[in-house]
Amino acid sequence: MAILDGKVPPGSIEEKWTNHKFNMKLVNPSNKRKFTLIVVGTGLAGSSAAATLAELGYNVKVFCIHESPRRAHSIAAQGGINAAKNYQNDGDSVHRLFYDTVKGGDFRAREANVHRLAEISPNIIDQCVAQGVPFAREYGGTLSNRSFGGAQVSRTFYARGQTGQQLLIGAYQAMMRQVEAGGVQLYTRREMLELVVIDGAARGIVTRNLRTGEIESHAGDGVILATGGYGNVFYLSTNAKQSNATAIWRAHKKGAYFGNPCFTQIHPTCIPVSGDYQSKLTLMSESLRNDGRVWVPKSKGDKRSPEQISDDERDYYLERVYPSFGNLAPRDVSSRQAKFRVDEGRGVGPSGQAVYLDFRDAIKRLGEHVVSERYGNLFQMYEKITGENPYKVPMRIYPASHYTMGGLWVDYNLMSNLPGLHVLGEANFSDHGANRLGASALMQGLSDGYFVIPYTIGHYLASAALPKITTDHEAFKATRSDVEARVAKLMSIKGSCTADDIHKELGHIMWEYVGMSRNSDGLKLAIEKIGKVKERFWNDLRVPGEATGTVNEELEKAGRVADFIELGELMARDALHRDESCGGHFREEYQTPDNEAQRDDANFCYVAGWEWKGDARPQELHKESLTFENVKLATRSYK
Amino acid sequence: MGGASQSTIDLKLKVWRQKDAATGGRFEDYDATGISTDASFLEMLDVVNQRLIKGGEDPIAFDHDCREGICGSCSMVINGNPHGPERSTATCQLHMRKFNDGDTIVVEPFRANAFPVIKDLSVDRTSFDEIIAVGGYVSVNTGNAPDANALPVPKVDADQAFNAAACIGCGACVAACANGSAMLFVGAKVGHLALLPQGRSEHNERVLAMMDKMQELGFGNCSNTGACAVACPKDISFENIVRMNREYAKASIKKRT
Amino acid sequence: MNYLKSSIGRKQLMGLTGLIWSGFVLSHMLGNLLIFAGSDAYNKYSYALTSNPLLYLAEAGLVVTLLAHVFYGLKLKFENVEARQTRYAMPTNGEKAARFQSKWMAFHGSLILVFIIYHLITFKYGPGVEAGYVTTVDGVQMRDLHRLIVDVFQSPAYVFGYVLCMIGVGFHLSHGFYSAFASLGFYHPKYSDWLSKLGYVYAVVVAAGFISQPLYVYLFAEAR
Repeated sequence: MAILDGKVPPGSIEEKWTNHKFNMKLVNPSNKRKFTLIVVGTGLAGSSAAATLAELGYNVKVFCIHESPRRAHSIAAQGGINAAKNYQNDGDSVHRLFYDTVKGGDFRAREANVHRLAEISPNIIDQCVAQGVPFAREYGGTLSNRSFGGAQVSRTFYARGQTGQQLLIGAYQAMMRQVEAGGVQLYTRREMLELVVIDGAARGIVTRNLRTGEIESHAGDGVILATGGYGNVFYLSTNAKQSNATAIWRAHKKGAYFGNPCFTQIHPTCIPVSGDYQSKLTLMSESLRNDGRVWVPKSKGDKRSPEQISDDERDYYLERVYPSFGNLAPRDVSSRQAKFRVDEGRGVGPSGQAVYLDFRDAIKRLGEHVVSERYGNLFQMYEKITGENPYKVPMRIYPASHYTMGGLWVDYNLMSNLPGLHVLGEANFSDHGANRLGASALMQGLSDGYFVIPYTIGHYLASAALPKITTDHEAFKATRSDVEARVAKLMSIKGSCTADDIHKELGHIMWEYVGMSRNSDGLKLAIEKIGKVKERFWNDLRVPGEATGTVNEELEKAGRVADFIELGELMARDALHRDESCGGHFREEYQTPDNEAQRDDANFCYVAGWEWKGDARPQELHKESLTFENVKLATRSYK
Repeated sequence: MGGASQSTIDLKLKVWRQKDAATGGRFEDYDATGISTDASFLEMLDVVNQRLIKGGEDPIAFDHDCREGICGSCSMVINGNPHGPERSTATCQLHMRKFNDGDTIVVEPFRANAFPVIKDLSVDRTSFDEIIAVGGYVSVNTGNAPDANALPVPKVDADQAFNAAACIGCGACVAACANGSAMLFVGAKVGHLALLPQGRSEHNERVLAMMDKMQELGFGNCSNTGACAVACPKDISFENIVRMNREYAKASIKKRT
Repeated sequence: MNYLKSSIGRKQLMGLTGLIWSGFVLSHMLGNLLIFAGSDAYNKYSYALTSNPLLYLAEAGLVVTLLAHVFYGLKLKFENVEARQTRYAMPTNGEKAARFQSKWMAFHGSLILVFIIYHLITFKYGPGVEAGYVTTVDGVQMRDLHRLIVDVFQSPAYVFGYVLCMIGVGFHLSHGFYSAFASLGFYHPKYSDWLSKLGYVYAVVVAAGFISQPLYVYLFAEAR
C-alpha cells in the first residue's frame, strides 16, 4: 500500500486556489497550438473543457458516443445548479457552500477541492448567463433561486425542470463555436475502448467508430476523461441507456487508481419500477421536495387510495424525524428513510415499493398555476409514464441509482496518478465525498471544465517532458490489437444470453447487496455471485451481426457490460473493506440506535484508491488520508 | 414488481429495415405479443429485439438514450406521425397504453434528404450540429462574463427565450415537414438568443449564417404548413419561424457586404 | 447569400406577390359583382378601367408579380421535392395532421395559372368592338363586355370549369393569405389565430363572389 498524495497546495483554505493559480506554470500563447489535447465525453465537463481549451489556443480533439455532442446525459439533469451568490440575502457565502458540501458529503471529500468548487461557483453562473442560458427570473429581471436538499439557504439557480439541458446547450454551443473556428475537431459516434500509455504518461486513446466498426487511434499530449458516472452498473438507474464506465474502467486497467467505488448515490425521488420490461428509471427532481410532502400510511399494509387516508393517519416521516430540514433532508438520508418505511410494510402502490410525494397542500397554498409553473414539465413527465395525474393524486416515488460519487482518483489538479490523464466531472471521485448534495453535480462539471482544467493542464504541459509521438508508435499498435482481439472475442462466444440478460442479472445482485444498505455477508455473497455472472458472460454471451460495416449496438452493450461486471466486483470489495457507514455507503453493522450512519473517523477518514493488479489478482488498496481543518469532523445531523 | 395497471396487448409491427445508407430498405412484419401497457414504445421494441436476437436475427436499430424525453436521440415515425400519435411527447415517453390490442403499427425512420438513414430507424442528424456551429451561440469566451445580475432580463423575455431554448434537436420538425425543412429548429435557436439581451449583439450575423447553412445542407423551404410545430415533442411554437422571417429580412437589409 | 436566392427571401417574395394578387382578385371580384347591376354599369366600369392609361402600369405590375410568384413558387416546389424524396407509408394524422390546403399550393397554383392564361385569351384578348361586341352608354361607344360574358357563360362546360378554378382560387387563398403574413414576419399570439380565420373568410368571399357571376349568368341571363 502506498500513500496517495492529493497535492493540495499550502496556505489557508481561502488562499489555496488563488496561490496555486499563481504558482502554476503557464504555456506561452503561441505554444498552445502545438499541444493536442484529447477530450472524451461531451457532457457539461467535457464540452466546457473543450470549448475553453480551444479558446485558449490548444488543439482539441473531442470524442463522444452519441451522434451529437448535445445528447450527453448532463442534458437530463433537472433541478438546478448551486452557486454561492447570496442573491437572496439569506446568509449564503462561499464558506457556507463549502461547509454544506463537506458536511453533506459526510466528511469523505478533500476540503481544498470543495472550497475551490464553492469559490468558482459564482463565476459559473456569470458565464452561463453571458452565454444566453435562460435561467428562471423574477419579475424585476433578476435571477431566481430555489432550495435544495442539505441546505438551509436558497442558492440553486434553475431553468424550469430542465437546468441540465440549458447548461449543456450553453456549453455545447460554446464548443460548436470552436469547431467552426477550427480549434476543436469533433469525432461523434466514437467509443473510447482503450487508453494508450507511453513512458508512464497518457498519450492517446483507441476508439471504435460506432457507425462503421472501425478501430481508430488518436495521439495527444494529454487525455481528459469526462465520461460520466457508472450508475448503470445497477442496470436500472436514472442514467441514460448509453451511460457507461468503459472509458474510466479501461483507464483503471491501464494503471489509474479507482477512488471510492462504493460511494454511489441512490436518489430518493424516482418513479417506481413497474415491470421486468423496464429499461430505465426516471428521476423526479429533488426540487419537488421544496413543495411536495413525503408520507406513508401509519398503519401497515394500508391499501386504501391516498385521498381516503386522513392527515392523522399519515406519517410525514421526514418532517417527523428531521424537523429542521424536513422534506429537504439530504438524498442518502431520505432514500434510507423510504427504504425503512417500505421494509416495515408501509409502502404504497400496487408493488408496495413506493412512498407518496404529495402536492395537495402546496396546491391549496399556492394554487395549481404556481405549482404548474414551478414543476409543470415534471408533472407532465410523471403523467406520461404512470398514466396518473399528480395534480389530483400524490406521486408514487422510490429511490433509484442516480449518481456515483466514486470515480477515478485525481489530485488537486484533477490529474490521476497516471501523468497526463485528467478526469473531470462525475467520472472523477473528487468533490462530493460519500454523498452529493442536489444541484452540485452541474456545478462540479462546469467548474472542472470551465475554470479548473484550463489552468491545471497548462501546468502539466509546461512541466512535463512530452516528446512528439504519432499513432505509429509501438504502444498504439499494441493497444489497437488488444482492442481488436477483445472485439473478436466478444463476437466469437456465440452463446445464448444477450448482453441485457447478463446486465439485468448483475443489476439485481448490485441492487440487492451493494445498493441502499449493505452488510458484510451480503457483500461477500455478491462478490461470489458476480464471479459467476462474469463466467456466464464470457461463456454464454450472444452478440448478433457483424463487428464492422454497420451499427452493432449489441456489441457496444456487451463491451460495456463486461466492464460493469468487473467494476461491480470492485464496488463490493470496496464496500466490504469500509467498515463504517458514511453518506451513500450504509453498512447495516454500523449504525446509531436511531438508524443513522455511523462513521469511523479513526480508521476510515481516507479516500480508497484501488490499483488494478491484473486479471488474476484483486486490486490493491492505496489510501489518501483526509484532514479536516476548516469543517470540524462531526456527526451529521439534519434533525 | 407491479405497476399502476397490469395488462398486456398483442401487436403487429411493420418496421422499416435497412442495412445501411447505401442499401435500399423495406418493411418487415413482426409480432409483438404480451406487451405490458405500462411499457414505453422503446421498451416494446426492446422486448421485440431481445426475441429477435435469441431467434438468431439482427435486432432493429434505433437511436435512444435518456429515455425521458430530453436528449433528443429517439426519432422514428409511428403510424405516419413523428414520435407517434400523442402531442408534446417524444417516442421514449409514448407508452403502450395508448395502443389497443390487435393494432398494427407502422414504424419508419425520419425521412429527409438532410437526414440520411444510417440503419433501420436510425438517421444521421449531424447537419443540425453544423447549423449550430455557424452561429448558434453567443460569442463569449470563458472568463469574459460580467456579474449575472448586472443585466436584468424581463421575466417575460426570459420565459419566451426558455420556451424556444427547450428544443431537444430531435429533428421531428424536419421529419414532419413535407419539404424537409429545418426552419423550426433554426427558428428556435435564433429566437432563444434573439430574445435575450446577451444574444442581441451578433443577432444579424447569426440569423443570416444559420439560415444560409440550413439551405446549403439540403433542407427544404418553409411553406408555413405548421406541421413542424404540431409534431414537436417540446411544443416549440411556430412563432419562432415567423420571428426568424422578420429578423432575416431586417438583417438582410442591414448587412454591409 | 443573395437575399433573392435565400430560402426566406424567396418565401417573402412569394408572400408579397401573393398579397398583391390577393388584393387584385378581391377588386376584380368586386368589379364582377356589377353583373348584378345590369349591362350598362358593367360595361361602363370596364370601359373606365381599360381607358385609363394607368392600367398599363397596373397590368405590368401584375404580370411581373405573377411571373415572380410562379417562377419562385415552382423553384421552391422543386427544391422541396428534392429535400424530401421519400414519402411515409402513412400521412400525418390525428392531432398531428398538417393543414390540408398547405400541401396542395403548387397544385392549385398551377391550375390557377392555366386558368389565368385561358381567361385572358377568352376575355381580355377575346372578341371586341371589331367583332361586333359594341354598345353605347351615355353617348360613349364602348366594348360590350357584358354580352361577351353572357355568351361565354352559356356553355355549361365553361361554367363548370370556371367554378372549379375559382374553388381552386379559394383554396389557394385559404392558406396563402395567412401564410403571406407569416412569411413577412407578422405573428402575434393574440392576433394570428384571428388572422388565420380572416384568411378563410377572405378565401370564401373571393371565391363565392367570382362564382356568383357565371352561375347568375348561366341561370338567369339570356344570350342576345
